[in-house]
Amino acid sequence: MNSPSEVTLYDEVINGFEKLANQASSDETSDLRRIRKQAFENFRQSGFPTIRNEDWKYTNLTRFLKDEYALNVPNLPVPTRLIDTARIADFDCYTIALVNGVWDKTLGSTLPQGVELLPMAEAKQDPAFAEWFTQNHNDRFFTALNTALFADGLFIRVKAAALPDKPLHIIHAYTAGTNLMVQPRHIWLVNERAELSIVESIVSEKGQTHIWVNSLTEIVMHRDAKLDHTTIQSAPANVRLVNHTTVRQKKQSLYNNYTFTLPGADLVRNDLQARLEEDHTETHLYGLYLAADRQLVDNHTLVDHQKPNCFSNELYKGVLLEQSTGVFNGKVYVHQDAQKTNAFQQNNNLVIGKKATIDSKPELEIYADDVKCSHGSTVGQFSEEALFYLRARGIGEAAAKALLINAFAFDVTEKIKHAAVETHINRLIGQHIPVTQ
Amino acid sequence: MGNDNEIIDNIANKEYEFGFVTDIEMDILPAGLNEDTIRYISEKKKEPEWLLEWRLKGFQAFRKQKLPEWQNFTLPSIDFQKISYYAAPRNKKKYNSLDEVDPELLATFEKLGIPLSEQKALAGVAVDAVFDSISVATTYKEKLKELGIIFCSFGEAVQEHPELVKKYVGSVVPYSDNIFAALNAAVFSDGSFVYIPKGVRCPMELSTYFRINTENTGQFERTLIIADEGSYVSYLEGCTAPMRDENQLHAAVVELIAMGNAEIKYSTVQNWYPGDKDGKGGIYNFVTKRGICKGDNAKISWTQVETGSAITWKYPSVILQGDNSTGEFYSVAVTRNKQIADTGTKMHHIGRNTRSRIISKGISAGEGQNSYRGLVQIGPKADEARNFTQCDSLLIGDRCGAHTFPYIESKNNSATVEHEATTSKIGEDQIFYLNARGIDSEKAVALIINGYVREVLNQLPMEFAVEAQKLLSITLEGSVG
Repeated sequence: MNSPSEVTLYDEVINGFEKLANQASSDETSDLRRIRKQAFENFRQSGFPTIRNEDWKYTNLTRFLKDEYALNVPNLPVPTRLIDTARIADFDCYTIALVNGVWDKTLGSTLPQGVELLPMAEAKQDPAFAEWFTQNHNDRFFTALNTALFADGLFIRVKAAALPDKPLHIIHAYTAGTNLMVQPRHIWLVNERAELSIVESIVSEKGQTHIWVNSLTEIVMHRDAKLDHTTIQSAPANVRLVNHTTVRQKKQSLYNNYTFTLPGADLVRNDLQARLEEDHTETHLYGLYLAADRQLVDNHTLVDHQKPNCFSNELYKGVLLEQSTGVFNGKVYVHQDAQKTNAFQQNNNLVIGKKATIDSKPELEIYADDVKCSHGSTVGQFSEEALFYLRARGIGEAAAKALLINAFAFDVTEKIKHAAVETHINRLIGQHIPVTQ
Repeated sequence: MGNDNEIIDNIANKEYEFGFVTDIEMDILPAGLNEDTIRYISEKKKEPEWLLEWRLKGFQAFRKQKLPEWQNFTLPSIDFQKISYYAAPRNKKKYNSLDEVDPELLATFEKLGIPLSEQKALAGVAVDAVFDSISVATTYKEKLKELGIIFCSFGEAVQEHPELVKKYVGSVVPYSDNIFAALNAAVFSDGSFVYIPKGVRCPMELSTYFRINTENTGQFERTLIIADEGSYVSYLEGCTAPMRDENQLHAAVVELIAMGNAEIKYSTVQNWYPGDKDGKGGIYNFVTKRGICKGDNAKISWTQVETGSAITWKYPSVILQGDNSTGEFYSVAVTRNKQIADTGTKMHHIGRNTRSRIISKGISAGEGQNSYRGLVQIGPKADEARNFTQCDSLLIGDRCGAHTFPYIESKNNSATVEHEATTSKIGEDQIFYLNARGIDSEKAVALIINGYVREVLNQLPMEFAVEAQKLLSITLEGSVG
């Protein structure tokens, strides 16, 4: 394991657990208290991951762990202006906002029909909570830390056969006066035949204050349910994002994920796991990461084919500017039972910065024979021919490069189903495209 | 395909063709590993002091290291103290002609189809036959000598060319590289040594046949090939091993050094005893193979056909240090019954304009597990580096597995890296197509597999390609997807 004694944050967590646990869990069931205790024990043993751990091989946290963080969420005025920056122009949707992981009901509009929302702090009493809250006792690192310490988050239940008329936009705003580590925890249940589209935006104020967000979302897709899930990560450089999402898919459910990471947050780590627990499911994972400065963007995905006749498709594209580092680890696991699996995965990287780094590791682990699986991974730069073609037609070098980056990203952005969101993303990309490189 | 299972059972039950034991008197060191063992080996081989010291350093490194845990299979526990680290035919005198060689030994080679005879000489192959650990017969030496080529056993090289050995041994695979390389450094028995002088194109394929013979003797070969500036050599390594119940450890080390404009082509056909259908017995083939393109425009090419061993675990790699140097890796790995293969390559791009090409074809049948694990690393100075990787897996039967773990690390924005992998079973439509044309399922599968691996087999020297093809057809006889 690592040498936790050097990590102040680790000590803080270990020493502060009793107090934090008492605050959070005074009204909790003994089951949850037991799970938290186990998770804490796991974290105490694992500590924060180091590069000696295979899943963190390319993501060195040392420089981020040096800072001190408060673990108590402060009471601050609602950052209305910050929340407004995350709004998407012309996007017809229901909007709610979470400030430091706590749902702020004073903001936002009416709620979609057939969709029940609760703060996690209240949802803990709900029977569905006990049913779907993780029972995974092997958790360690950040997921264990979240389970041990989470205070609040968002519980969503989409009622059976509910078809809300508009998407739900969830704005996660993070704000703090001093360094802060928050552990938001969400459970989203999409019941049978229900359909929902969720767009998440993650924003924070620019500044010297470091905010570490260690968020964990558990999604359950019941039979024939459909969920479109878009995440837009555009927090500034003082933010560190560690995001864990587990999706459990039941029979014939459809889950689409679109993850967009833009320049800013100096550490972004997304763990996205789709567990195909029943047959005939469909899963699409799309990702676009545009990294700049010294940013480190790490996407780990797992598609776990447990049952037959499931289909999964994954496309992640990365543009690496300046001295940024991109990490992609995509794993497709096909169990022996999962015959007739079709699983495809692709990762393409455009390395532009002279000192940019990319580490890509697509993995296939297959124990069934009647399958069609493939993955591809490429690392490259601007095609000289394409550049020449554009320049020969009177397009300046910077404009030509911007055009090529847009074209590269288009494969992912075009998958977005809401035109307003697509325009929004394209605008965000436009803000960061290097005019001089 | 109603008879799928029957046919798959047929392959699974197929006895190991080359399983027989040769009865020759052996000089065996009792099992156990400590400094004395190493001193004994070193003394037996009349080694200079520096080599003994190097061995001892290897032993220190070995004691410090732990067995790896990252591999995609359960490593059986290995009791290093239960292995005997030295076995040599008791008859130690050197042979000048084949007549003097123990006829039973010759018969063994005969059974393996290795014509260690004048015919072979006429065929243009010089064979340095390693029978267990000591080189017993070397042909064609004279002719190679004329060109200044050194091709001899490692032990001989230590005696006759100590300066070369001292300079290069451990320079590519240091004794501290990994636990098995450390063990090899400590106890290596013998192996082959090749030196090709400047500007010489070796006129024939150099070839070594390895064969494990004595029970409980791990084989710790060490091969060192140096191709000086502008030279060329093609080296063949092939092995078959007799049937045995106890697991045997094979931890060889191969080091290749290619100077400027030199080219080394290293081909392997590996057919160690794979264990019986329950996975009992069989060889553990844990080999460290690495080459370095030291000078500009150098080229190293690895080709391997892996059909044997209970566990095959190796990653022949190339360090592309010189500008414009090239590394290649072509591999076919077949696993069936309970065989495991965790193999692949590493390409370290250091110099400018370096290129590498990786073609890996895995075939899993029965309960075999086949993993491709590869690393393509582009350093910050490797401008315009280029890599292409393709790894395909074919699954035959519903209890086998195929896995791909490629690592791509690029620190250069002018590099181009491409990786693609596919996994599938043999298409029923393809078999149907061939059936419809009067080709039975068995032949159809052979045909499809032949096409599937052709890209790799094409890389092998002619005689070897024929042998490899035969081996594949024996291994997968009667298989239907």
